[in-house]
Amino acid sequence: MKLDNRVRDKLAGFAFILPALLVVGLLLLYPVVSSVFFSFTSKHLIKPAYEFIWFDNYIKILTDPDFWAAFLTSVKWTIASLAGQILTGFTAALALERIRRGKGAYRTLLIIPWAFPSIVIALSWKWILNGVSGFLPNFLVKLGLCETAPQFFSSGGLVFPTLVFINVWFGAPLIMVNVLSALQTVPKDQYEAAQLDGATPWQSFIHITLPHIRVVVGLLVVLRTIWVFNNFDTIYLITGGGPANLTQTVPIYAYNVGWGLKQLGRSSAVTVLLLIFLLIVCMFYFKILDKWEKEGA
Amino acid sequence: MKNKRLLKRGWFGDTVSYIYLTILALIAIFPMAWVLLTSVKGKGEMTGDPTSILPKVLTLDNYRTVIEQLNFGNNIANSIMVALSTTVIAILVSALGAYGVVRFFPRFGKIMTRVLITTYMFPPILLAVPYSIIMGKVGLMNNRLGLVIVYLSFSVPYAIWLLVGFFQTVPLEIEEAARVDGANKIQVFGRVVLPIVAPGLVAVAIYTFINAWNEFLYSLILMNSSEKMTVAVALKSLEGQEVLDWGVMMAASAMVVIPSVIFFMLIQKKIAGGLASGSVK
Repeated sequence: MKLDNRVRDKLAGFAFILPALLVVGLLLLYPVVSSVFFSFTSKHLIKPAYEFIWFDNYIKILTDPDFWAAFLTSVKWTIASLAGQILTGFTAALALERIRRGKGAYRTLLIIPWAFPSIVIALSWKWILNGVSGFLPNFLVKLGLCETAPQFFSSGGLVFPTLVFINVWFGAPLIMVNVLSALQTVPKDQYEAAQLDGATPWQSFIHITLPHIRVVVGLLVVLRTIWVFNNFDTIYLITGGGPANLTQTVPIYAYNVGWGLKQLGRSSAVTVLLLIFLLIVCMFYFKILDKWEKEGA
Repeated sequence: MKNKRLLKRGWFGDTVSYIYLTILALIAIFPMAWVLLTSVKGKGEMTGDPTSILPKVLTLDNYRTVIEQLNFGNNIANSIMVALSTTVIAILVSALGAYGVVRFFPRFGKIMTRVLITTYMFPPILLAVPYSIIMGKVGLMNNRLGLVIVYLSFSVPYAIWLLVGFFQTVPLEIEEAARVDGANKIQVFGRVVLPIVAPGLVAVAIYTFINAWNEFLYSLILMNSSEKMTVAVALKSLEGQEVLDWGVMMAASAMVVIPSVIFFMLIQKKIAGGLASGSVK
């Protein structure tokens, strides 16, 4: 009788999760498998006929210098954006944690970028930094800091840092808010004990704060790495990968192959390589996180 | 500096914190402010004097152009329809799924988190290829229903992720008491559990709506006729038009970004911390 109930419980539970399983299966797993399949074909965006060409797509991509340039840009873009987001988000969280008045107001203002649609991120910054009538270039000239209006999006030296800045502007609030809520979980009495022992604030931060929040922050870094590496919108909408492919990341390269050259099969191969790279990076991350979790327990 | 209490309560550290936060806040809100200010400025004002901040004349001409000439209302209606349908279906599926895992398969919680993170790893551009092929095959290309189906792919995992945390707070005793009173599993879920998690559910629903409203890539790939475009893609296509008028562009941008920001303000307390912490539990 008891076992019977347990089986019935499991069946009921299965009924609850079935729709979600269907969504994950049909809309995520199946498309990924089908992408892997198409990566071995000559699938064209418009022409219906295609054939199986084994590793031709992969060979074409891996021997294309543009792909490797895009890969390098992606890695730089991810590392620079993440470093900026973590640094800004972390310091903002610590500052917010410290102040007593206006905490809520600052927090509310600081998270505004998070809600921005990618198209408005792109348009608003393109307008602010516009080389002719944009606010900032003209303001810099007015202050006497620049002789002529700086061209943030067409100058080879400026465009990459500008994109990273915009991505930090957008992503830092998410880090800030999550670090802030992780900070709440650190027991306050440990700080007091450390203080009595004569620890400096820096020592308290390293030995008390960090160990308590590192698992949450670590997971956050994993999620943000994935997000930034996969991000298509921000760069596509601001520079389209230009000038002269200087800001072309792997997702944009894949889009150009698939929808520009109309080579969907080859585009699939690019995205499969992208996924494989992410899986490898995340495996390393999870090894570290697992170790931290065990140490914490 | 040696004494922590001194630094913690010290005016110096406080001042530095306030200055730092004020600078960050100014940078954070500047684009929002600039979109709004530009959108109400008269033609020629921003090209004439790009660094003047406040508008000399307040005008709603740009908004009128967006609605009357660009027919943006139609795109807004598309976006509302798509985002709303996505939200309703995603929340239904995710609430059942999240509750199912928390209550019936608690041991799979950790595995599920890993599966969700793995699905999060799938590059949107990777999924875009099969989506465009599949939707073409089943005749849902350039179709709002097709877009809703595709949007479930990211909204369901995300909503489950957030909801698991809320369902974990429901005490088992309350459910058992209801069972003793003769309620079946569906009744317990609908009448006992859902009302308890309602505030969280609403927050997640709003977040799902914002994400669908903001989405760009899938909409770019799947919707190609201007009368069916969502706001994000319609805005992008405005940019490609011959006469680029920043006042009009910013008015249209304002209409897209304001709902997102307002809704987000309402729910941020409930959502924000849960992104990382909910998944670690």
